Amino acid sequence: MSGAKRNAAIDAALQAALDKSAYLADDTKKEIRICAGTACHASGRVALREAAETALTKRGLTETVRIVETGCHGFCQQGPIVVIRPQGIFYPRLKPEDMEEVVETSIVGSGVVERLLYRHPQTGDPIALEKDIPFYALQKRIVLNLNGKIDPYSIDDYLAHGGYSALARVLKQADPLAVIDEIEQSGLRGRGGAGFPTGRKWRSCRANPGEKHYIVCNADEGDPGAFMDRSVLEGNPHSVVEGMIIAAYAIGADNGPVEGYVYVRHEYPFAVQRLRRALEQARERGLLGKNILDSGFDFDIRINQGAGAFVCGESTALTLSIEGQRGMPRGKHIRTVAHGLWGQPTNLNNVETYASVPWIINNGAEAFAAIGTATSKGTKIFSLTGKVMNGGLIEVPMGTTLREVIFGIGGGMLPGREFKAVQLGGPSGGCLPASLLDEPIDFESLVAAGSMMGSGGMVVVDDTTCMVDFAKFFLRFTAEESCGKCVPCRVGTTRMLEILERISSGEASLEEVDLLEKLAAEVVEGSLCALGGSAPNPVLSALRYFRDELLAHVVERRCPAGVCRPLIRYVIDEAACTGCRACVAACPSGAITGERKQPHQINPELCIKCDACRQACRYDAVRVETGILEPAGPAAAGGRRK
Amino acid sequence: MTGDNGRKGSALHEVIEGIDFARRELLGKQRGIGLLELVRDEKGDYRCYACTLCQRTCPVDCIQVDYCPEFPEQPFDAEAARAAALATGPGASCGAVSACVSGEKPAQFAPEVDLKRLDPVIAGIRTGSGLVEALHATQEAYGYLPRVALESIAEEMHIPLSRVYGVASFYAQFRLQPVGKYVIDVCMGTACHVAGAPLVVEAFSQELEIPVGGTTPDGLFTLQTVNCVGACALAPVVRIGNEDTYGRVGPTEARRLVRKLRKQEAAR
Repeated sequence: MSGAKRNAAIDAALQAALDKSAYLADDTKKEIRICAGTACHASGRVALREAAETALTKRGLTETVRIVETGCHGFCQQGPIVVIRPQGIFYPRLKPEDMEEVVETSIVGSGVVERLLYRHPQTGDPIALEKDIPFYALQKRIVLNLNGKIDPYSIDDYLAHGGYSALARVLKQADPLAVIDEIEQSGLRGRGGAGFPTGRKWRSCRANPGEKHYIVCNADEGDPGAFMDRSVLEGNPHSVVEGMIIAAYAIGADNGPVEGYVYVRHEYPFAVQRLRRALEQARERGLLGKNILDSGFDFDIRINQGAGAFVCGESTALTLSIEGQRGMPRGKHIRTVAHGLWGQPTNLNNVETYASVPWIINNGAEAFAAIGTATSKGTKIFSLTGKVMNGGLIEVPMGTTLREVIFGIGGGMLPGREFKAVQLGGPSGGCLPASLLDEPIDFESLVAAGSMMGSGGMVVVDDTTCMVDFAKFFLRFTAEESCGKCVPCRVGTTRMLEILERISSGEASLEEVDLLEKLAAEVVEGSLCALGGSAPNPVLSALRYFRDELLAHVVERRCPAGVCRPLIRYVIDEAACTGCRACVAACPSGAITGERKQPHQINPELCIKCDACRQACRYDAVRVETGILEPAGPAAAGGRRK
Repeated sequence: MTGDNGRKGSALHEVIEGIDFARRELLGKQRGIGLLELVRDEKGDYRCYACTLCQRTCPVDCIQVDYCPEFPEQPFDAEAARAAALATGPGASCGAVSACVSGEKPAQFAPEVDLKRLDPVIAGIRTGSGLVEALHATQEAYGYLPRVALESIAEEMHIPLSRVYGVASFYAQFRLQPVGKYVIDVCMGTACHVAGAPLVVEAFSQELEIPVGGTTPDGLFTLQTVNCVGACALAPVVRIGNEDTYGRVGPTEARRLVRKLRKQEAAR
């Protein structure tokens, strides 16, 4: 087929796919967009949808006004979220009983229901439009652009918003190496954590000979507190599919057969469901499978579900898991691009990386490279959680400072609380203290600061979090998730955890703190994969930035944050107690006694320190006391360094 | 490898003699050189973590990490075995490393297994589904992975049961024990942790009188933890079954949830 003829065929095929969805491109249509992300689902979006249907039926508007259940809008703290199009009116935490009024005012009329609007966290002024809310205004959304706008179950929505045009462009250009050049020039780096240049990976995968090349998408988002990949898959699965097809073309065109896999967590049922639907629709429209868009290029994608093993996010473990084996990593002296899935050259990228590809092709490498810092280009999605006002999913240019993210977009700490640390990179990352808040977020700066970009989890903690307990949490996670292949990781993390347990119960000596540091170095040194190599990071960063707090546990035997149980005691402040008996009712162990309207007492013998009374008390009368044990004697001070 | 006179090339004779010696003295007598035994440390604790590496590495497939030999339906529980080993103390030598060496078989919820429900899984294997996929399908059918089902899968795929068991026990999502009607998943993600999830797990555990991973003897509740369900803005999060997700659950709400479900069940 000649070039012109082929291009005409591709255009015709895309147009045929588009024709079915053209009516959706009309941007002035009225729509009720309900967020169907996991957090909004849990906050009651189903009831909201029913309420919207009833309200529309009442007014006979079911034919003219569409209800769209979109992917995650990102502002999860304010769920369930409803946005009224075309105005873009944002209604947070909407209750089903208010839906009728919203339909009456904003759909039938064109006004806003002021009492239901989002209020500026500082000024308290109502904000009507989604784009004016500080949480959104400060972001730059490239990958998340269509999240919250389109129905993830509908390929028509994606096509109407310019979907698959990047694929058509690539197919028409018919030069796989030019695609690789474009990606390389854009400076895109792997969004899964390590930050390996994507273009270079594609190039070496293409160069490696094999019977078949595999294109694998890593959607095994295991970091606790991270949900970027899930939100992209749930909100805009086609962007990932399109990115993968483009990668397949760049690596596999005129280079033998090529096949795709998406390895997705089993814990994400919505994501699996939507991705499965997306693949079916893409096949129906001739965008996936044999002879894609009449170009003669074949490529198909299979879904493979994980089964709850954190280590399977590691490339070699992931390929073994797809093959149906235990996911135990092997040494990386042979790269996956040469010898990966079924022993064939394999290109493994993360969800967000693939989802960035169509934007780069459509807007050009320069546009992407213009965003970000010298070494880290483009934008990055973070899931901002923990003790911030506005938690949720955010996308910012690389190089944005932590302060801008946490205090700008995140709206700062919860009232009356003080920033203590921000944890990045999940169990492989580290905690950064307030002194580093002005660090720009890019791959290199974060590693230099003792943390890492990771896949994008960002957990903010305040003064009520104990850093020993926090480090213990991550270490327990990695100790449990260690596959057991390398002894330093398998045994070392368990031993480190035991030392941390002793520290948090006030039994450790200073020598053990030294031992902890030594062990950490050994574990890093003696582990094959990134899980072991980075497992001690949370402990090391706690030792680096929060040493005083850790030593308070050892030397003074107290927990400054009032978390470590053996070191704390619950008491009732008799002056503040009104004798309302709320705590008595909440106490599961019958430890609290006292007459109505008389100050109550906690019996320390019976108290199990479960915190129920403190949460039940409306007068802040339940206090946590620390420093209940004798400070350690001279024996503990023995091993102090320098 | 050189002879007494240091000349190169004379080693061959010695190698042949060495092989001959080994054949005569060692292999000629008896092939087994010793008994495989699990070594304990000075406290009496088994050093074995049941990581199954030895099983996978063994060139003659003579090692199998498997179900408990005394109670064939009970998966090997490395933690319990270690605890039992510690209880028996150093010096005591028990051949079988059983989760039950020091105790009675615990009261357990054990429903009947209808092998008919495995047919689609077997059909799936015949059309090329992998082991992990097959195990997912099996768990969907039964709610857990019964031993008989794993045996059928092993037979169908022509691999040893120990390999199927090895994969099933590696992944946290796979359950080797039956689950209750209500599976309570307490999210232990980072955001939930800092919001007090450990206190919530403890409250459930006390209210249900079962440890994490356990099922109540009446078969109603199973208590589990998951690493992150990704609803961090609602921390701490609890999921019951696949559908019901509860946000901002404290210890008191946790207890209340259990009581509510118990009451519902009693009313039926």
